[in-house]
Amino acid sequence: MKCSRCLLQLVRSGRTVVQRGSLLLSPSSGQLIVQHNQQQQVLRQFRCSPVLAKSQPEPVRFVNDDGTKKTKSLVTKEDLFEQVAKESKTKATFNQVIDVFTKTDIRRRGHVEFIYAALKKMPEFGVERDLTVYNKLLDVFPKEVFVARNFIQRMFNHYPRQQECGVQVLEQMESYGIMPNIETKVLLVQIFGEKSHPIRKYQRIMYWFPKFKHVNPFPVPQPLPEDPVDLAILSLNRIANDLDAKTTVYQLPFTDITESGEEISFPHIVGIQSPNQMELLAKHNPNRPVFVEGPFPLWLKKTCVYYYILRADPTPPEEKEEEVYDPERCFYYPLQLDLDLDRDLGDEENFDVDDLDEGPVFAMCMTSQGDQATLNQWISGLQQNNPILGRIPTLFRLDAGTRELEGVADTEAGHSHRPPPQSQREDGLPAEDSEAAVEEEEPRRSRGMKQ
Amino acid sequence: MNVNSFLALSRAFPRGKNRLVCHAWHLEKQALRVQQRRTIRTHSRSLAYAKDLFLGQINKAEVFPYPEIGSDELEEVKQFVAPVEKFFNEEVDSAKIDREAKIPAETLNGLKELGLFGIMIPEEYGGLGLSNTMYARLNEIIALDGSIAVTLAAHQAIGLKGILIAGNEAQKKKYLPKLASGEHIAAFCLTEPGSGSDAASIQTLATLSEDGKHYLINGSKFWISNGGFADIMTVFARTAVEVDGVKKDKITAFIVEKAFGGISSGKPEDKLGIRGSYTCEVSFDNVPVPVENVIGEVGGGFKVAMNILNSGRFSMGSSCAGMIKKLMELTSEYAVSRKQFNRSLSEFGMIQEKFALMAINAFVMESMAYLTAGMMDRPGVPDCSLEAAMVKVFSSEGGWICCSEALQVLGGLGYTKNYPFERYVRDCRILPIFEGTNEILRMYVALTGMQYAGKVLTGKIKEMKKGNIFMAVNMAGKKLRTSLGASVDLGLTGKDGVVHPSLESIVDEQLVLKRVADVLINLYAMTAVLSRASRSISIGLRNHDHEVLLANTFCNDAFFKNNYSMVQLQKHSPENNDASIKKIAQAVLENRSYICSHPLERTF
Repeated sequence: MKCSRCLLQLVRSGRTVVQRGSLLLSPSSGQLIVQHNQQQQVLRQFRCSPVLAKSQPEPVRFVNDDGTKKTKSLVTKEDLFEQVAKESKTKATFNQVIDVFTKTDIRRRGHVEFIYAALKKMPEFGVERDLTVYNKLLDVFPKEVFVARNFIQRMFNHYPRQQECGVQVLEQMESYGIMPNIETKVLLVQIFGEKSHPIRKYQRIMYWFPKFKHVNPFPVPQPLPEDPVDLAILSLNRIANDLDAKTTVYQLPFTDITESGEEISFPHIVGIQSPNQMELLAKHNPNRPVFVEGPFPLWLKKTCVYYYILRADPTPPEEKEEEVYDPERCFYYPLQLDLDLDRDLGDEENFDVDDLDEGPVFAMCMTSQGDQATLNQWISGLQQNNPILGRIPTLFRLDAGTRELEGVADTEAGHSHRPPPQSQREDGLPAEDSEAAVEEEEPRRSRGMKQ
Repeated sequence: MNVNSFLALSRAFPRGKNRLVCHAWHLEKQALRVQQRRTIRTHSRSLAYAKDLFLGQINKAEVFPYPEIGSDELEEVKQFVAPVEKFFNEEVDSAKIDREAKIPAETLNGLKELGLFGIMIPEEYGGLGLSNTMYARLNEIIALDGSIAVTLAAHQAIGLKGILIAGNEAQKKKYLPKLASGEHIAAFCLTEPGSGSDAASIQTLATLSEDGKHYLINGSKFWISNGGFADIMTVFARTAVEVDGVKKDKITAFIVEKAFGGISSGKPEDKLGIRGSYTCEVSFDNVPVPVENVIGEVGGGFKVAMNILNSGRFSMGSSCAGMIKKLMELTSEYAVSRKQFNRSLSEFGMIQEKFALMAINAFVMESMAYLTAGMMDRPGVPDCSLEAAMVKVFSSEGGWICCSEALQVLGGLGYTKNYPFERYVRDCRILPIFEGTNEILRMYVALTGMQYAGKVLTGKIKEMKKGNIFMAVNMAGKKLRTSLGASVDLGLTGKDGVVHPSLESIVDEQLVLKRVADVLINLYAMTAVLSRASRSISIGLRNHDHEVLLANTFCNDAFFKNNYSMVQLQKHSPENNDASIKKIAQAVLENRSYICSHPLERTF
């Protein structure tokens, strides 16, 4: 691909060229420019001629303007960003860099390299999902220069590097799921003309994006809620997918300072249970234990959260009560036809179906601290609505199956006491916030797989 | 069940129709012949008509000729009807009853004096002792006021029916005379907050006291008509019964007097229609009921409840017919006098269509109701519950359509309270709901018929397997005939035209069952209409040509409807939309809302 070659060139040139004076910006001036930019965004008029810009030079703020900027020698465009990035990486600074680039040279020399560099840097500045930034970036292209004027130009690849660069911008938008708007189209038409490759790309995006916009029946909200409790409620509802299920916040996160001045933070505990699950649990044979298992990972785009379940083994076939048909059940019509249908020789109806009986899941919870004490608190919270839990032995299987713990038989009496601290340490998984979990997702996921 | 034979059957009807037009004399002769044959029969009647329809047989002997009552009986009916009609026309102020949601005491007293509280109670217990046919006739008039009709029905069609059909002599002697005179009013307490048609979820409990003389009833019952002022109630409660050494909870029926104490009733429900009837919650708190007040035997309440429910339904046909006839009088008056564009409303085709619809519906309902009543009045204990359910389904739905069409004729006027139409529409809305919703009754019709047909047919297969050559030849001949006669395979019949093994799961195929029930209901309606019309021709009733016209129109219409339903029953026919219907419903129910995006919504 040509673009990759361009990038290569860019990197090479970056190595050779001497570093230039830095573009240091004070935060205050940066802010100024943001406001200025916003104004410009609203009142944007598409420039038709570079002359206009020349006649009205806008004030460009260079805090550390040492005069070297006028030398038109090669400069790696990434450096521009690097220099700014020393201060802060925000949308404002990103926009500022673009402004600096457009204002310094009216001929926009090296704009292709600049755009490639900008595209690469966008995620760093956190603007990879910002349509206005993309539009601003496209605005860097000089207008009307690359528009094909006759059919021969149109037939062949007119200004291929620029067109490819334009396509690249659109491609990055596509990969981040940003839908171009009418402003993008106007820009592209101005830059490349009606039948150019970027316009084709634009048309393809506009064809497919709306079609696929709602293709996911379970969309993950963007952005995800910051509050871990909200996030837990969201993810639990997502797993349960039951409108009847009720989420309960058993404990909000808080920190307490003990008498000795030690700071203890209590984790949040959020659980979910549906009426059907309560019914199932009520019918559970109290002689068979229920298990608290976890943590299991749940991925919400790039965030991973962990949940715990309360489940039981499937009832063995000898304990299963088959519902007998009672002819005196319905006052109005027979619930079953009492026909003496016996099968003929050829009427074998055994389909090869693997019927795997899975045990019931009674409830789920999420907490930032998956140790037994915390989960015990959850179980005691559940017990308020499911009194049967007091009679069922609860086993905590918080890690791989090998580290199974002894059952905590005495689940009644409010669970105010905590299990001995050493066992807590032993079985409790290192509990992190969901944000912390992102960094550590690899090892934890593998642990989850073992279950 | 051989569905192919349904088709053949429904084809046979229009053929009968043509014969009816051209050769009325032929039918008459045939009917006479049937009658003669019937007199020769000596064994008791065991088969019902509707069940045999499921086997593809038409028991002509059951339905032709149309049942009649004797001349002296007819005189008697007329004597009863005249004062009742007068009373309802002059004394009953339906608008006031509806407005105040209460039937005035003097109206109730008038009803009592007419003996309307004991129409079907035998004369020895102080009732009128009328037959089912006469009961149906009286209901035509009673139905002119929905609230009164429901109050009376709750009293005698279900409330005291338990004592009447399953009570012992002592109970009858003790309770029926006062109930017949209207001194005591009865109510039927079956429905509970958590239990509609599911007997297993009845929570009201009856426990035997320590001395073994009383049952203590605890619990509450919902939507009890007459619950506020009933003195005698038939209450169904769970009792512990030992069956084969195993303790089980079974339903038992009790006669409970309000005087026993511990009974409290809630405030009357504010309803859409039949506002004059007193519907409320009744709660029982340790109500002591003597052991001798058990209806039937302990643990036998289920059968009692079923029999009561099944026996009360046939009269809805005549009630609806009576109502529609009244509405036709009222609306035709308006349609003839109202002028638009210098033409009266009655000249417009679309208005005429509504009147034709009402006339046909009234005619069919009447025919069905009196045919069924006549069948029930025959000696022996005929089981006509299937027919009664069919009458109920057909007439309640027809009644609703006719009422709203009658209102439509008047347009905006009909929508106001100045005219009785809106009241009729409101009152009518209860018909498809109570006494078993139409959905449940359709299930009943289809499944009971299939159960019957399935038993017979599986028996036949067994015979064949045993090597009964005669039976096999018989079946083969039948198959040949159906394969020649029927062009489509309806999927329900397997090879040899016998019950398909998948019939076991048919209970869950409600859409299929609904269609089967509809076909059968239409077939029964056609039978009733043909039978009545042919009798009218035979004995030369006034306007019998009009009856023939109505019969022909209805049969034609029903024939096409049936054909359509039959085609819909095929698995892969384009008319069969079941899968899509289920899918749509599932999507809506999963999300519990309408899930389409708004038409103004955009994606870019």
